[in-house]
Amino acid sequence: MRIKLAGGAALGVAAMLVLSSCGSGSGGSGSSGDQKASGGGQVTLKMVAADYGDGPGKPNSGETFWKGVVDEFQAANPNIKVDVQVINWNDIDKQVATMVQNGQVPDILQTGDYSGFAKDDMLYKVEEVLSPNVSGDMLQKFADFGKVDGTAYGIPFVSSARALFYNKDLFTKAGISEPPKTWDELKAAAEKLKKAGVSQPFGLPLGQEEAQAESFLWMLGNGGGYKDASGKWAINSPQNIETFTYLKGLVDAGLTTPNPGTKDRKTVWEDFGAGKVGMVNGGPMSIPIFDAAGLKDKYGVAPIPGKSGPLDTTLGVMDWIMAFNKNGHAAEIKKFFDFFYTGSAAQKISDTYKLLPVTNGGIQKLSSDEKLKPFLDALPNASFYPFQDPKWADLNPEIKQTIGGAVKDDPAKVLGELQKTADAG
Amino acid sequence: MRRLRALEPLAWTGPAVVLIALVVLWPVVEMIRSSFLKINRRGVEQGFYGLANYDKLFDEKDFADIMVRSVIWVVAVVALTVLVSLALAQLFNQRFPGRRVARWALIAPWAASVLMTAIIFKWMLDPEVGVVNQIRVKLGLLDALGGASADQLGDASTAMPWLVFVAVFVSVPFTTYALLAGLATIPADVYEAAKMDGASRLRTYWSITLPLLRPALTVAALINVMNVFNSFPIIWAMTHGQPGYSTATSTILMFILKGSNIGESAAMSVVNFGMVLVLTVIFLKVSRWNKEVA
Repeated sequence: MRIKLAGGAALGVAAMLVLSSCGSGSGGSGSSGDQKASGGGQVTLKMVAADYGDGPGKPNSGETFWKGVVDEFQAANPNIKVDVQVINWNDIDKQVATMVQNGQVPDILQTGDYSGFAKDDMLYKVEEVLSPNVSGDMLQKFADFGKVDGTAYGIPFVSSARALFYNKDLFTKAGISEPPKTWDELKAAAEKLKKAGVSQPFGLPLGQEEAQAESFLWMLGNGGGYKDASGKWAINSPQNIETFTYLKGLVDAGLTTPNPGTKDRKTVWEDFGAGKVGMVNGGPMSIPIFDAAGLKDKYGVAPIPGKSGPLDTTLGVMDWIMAFNKNGHAAEIKKFFDFFYTGSAAQKISDTYKLLPVTNGGIQKLSSDEKLKPFLDALPNASFYPFQDPKWADLNPEIKQTIGGAVKDDPAKVLGELQKTADAG
Repeated sequence: MRRLRALEPLAWTGPAVVLIALVVLWPVVEMIRSSFLKINRRGVEQGFYGLANYDKLFDEKDFADIMVRSVIWVVAVVALTVLVSLALAQLFNQRFPGRRVARWALIAPWAASVLMTAIIFKWMLDPEVGVVNQIRVKLGLLDALGGASADQLGDASTAMPWLVFVAVFVSVPFTTYALLAGLATIPADVYEAAKMDGASRLRTYWSITLPLLRPALTVAALINVMNVFNSFPIIWAMTHGQPGYSTATSTILMFILKGSNIGESAAMSVVNFGMVLVLTVIFLKVSRWNKEVA
């Protein structure tokens, strides 16, 4: 747009290049030199983590959280320094890929997927970086998802599940006595809400941020999914086409967020918090957003409606933490991981962000929390993205970009294009 | 000693040359190299891939639409920017009370970060609470907030004009200042001579101001062509290129591809690079043709 920007960017890149090359040079030689000189001296672990908070500067930002954890860890382990770089969810995968391509691999990565790195032989096995008493406490089903060809590489970090949130005040105003269980009931409730003057009866975020999640919840409601029972890609299965045709009907009748294919879940959750949305699919992590927006205690949580009855499953999402083997810091990483899972940090992350724990011990500690109960109950029977299929990683960005078109244009055609991508090469 | 003297200029230009090589040339080489490599999503290089990245890119269903849209985007933004800036520069070249303040005010959109400007416009256009929609409701142009008709960024046909508007908004200050500097270089006696010959104002503008402004105009427009073609933050912040890819330009596609296929993304960058070169050559050809006529 203007030269100032280009000039600034050029300078920035120049500075970055100079700084990063200095950093890696001195850091690498420095630490090995130190080790030889003083025998097990200072080691710096480079960690990259995703931000579960509301971004930099906010009281619940990832930076603040990790600083607390790291300060405590460093006080107990003065020889190990942990350098945490927090990156938001939209950019973390791209930035990590750039780091890998430039040979600046972190020691520890906390993000949404590990399987690709495991296939590239870049990760330590879990047994090399986690004590047996910690890994033994992990929920078995979750830990099993951390395996590639029978060997565990990914360590479950946190999890979450989804349910339907509804605004009690708006339901009363529209004369709806209980949350809908079926698609027909949902449509009827949405029509009543619309009549009562609610601009978005159902909040439907099918935009870039998390279209793959919202879509999956609806697919599950009709016995569909991204894959069929035999494990083949089935994005354009008759069930899924029927699902999106139903959704398109809601959209065309003005019963949802307008132009769902352009709306991020963050926006829609904020609208729900502001009382503009009657119903929305959310998770434990949306509770702080709704509460902060002033909707505290004015919303209910119910199972997600399916075509002929409420879902007996839900979308479970697990995030992972993993250790890269390039810099050879297994012993130090093990200390940090054990500290994280056995100390107060794992508990703190559940408290701060309403994310669900992945250890039996953690779940027991939380079982008394009324708001989290529906999600803790749903967790054992959750369905997951087919993220262990390498195709998923290529498919996911395309789903995020285009699946919203299935409620605007021809569902069969849009889902067919995605199926074509899934089937290709 | 004398030989050392001869080397002195190198000491002064050297750092700049090294910086340019490091910051401009090396990334270009690396970009072109990457476009011929097979690189998986995690950034691991898996060997030479020939033209496969390009094949995949050209086979993308939306590729042709996106390229056409990119060209329209550049032409529309640059043409509107230049037209608005020509008028503004003329205005700011006059003496009027408060000119100093007005000139400072024009810098504001330039001084603010583009991303910030784009996000503010996105908020102003929010279907539920955006100030633009509140005004439309008050004026009776809109029935209710929150519906599809309040959601101008949700559909390409209404989103594109807004994107172009914001791009023009942030490009106008620089262009105006470049033209203003150009106007200041036109000597007053030329205008005096025209006045004595009895030329009309329009005639004076057409035959004196515009031709003498041509160097400034060419540079300003050319810089805009390159910047607008590579423009990313406005579209990304306001629409993510959605719905689908219907508001995406090639720069946006390049960024989206980066999430799934770095090699293909590099191929898109190379195509982009070529497009900028071609657009620049065409532009220079056209402006030289102007000179021959004048």
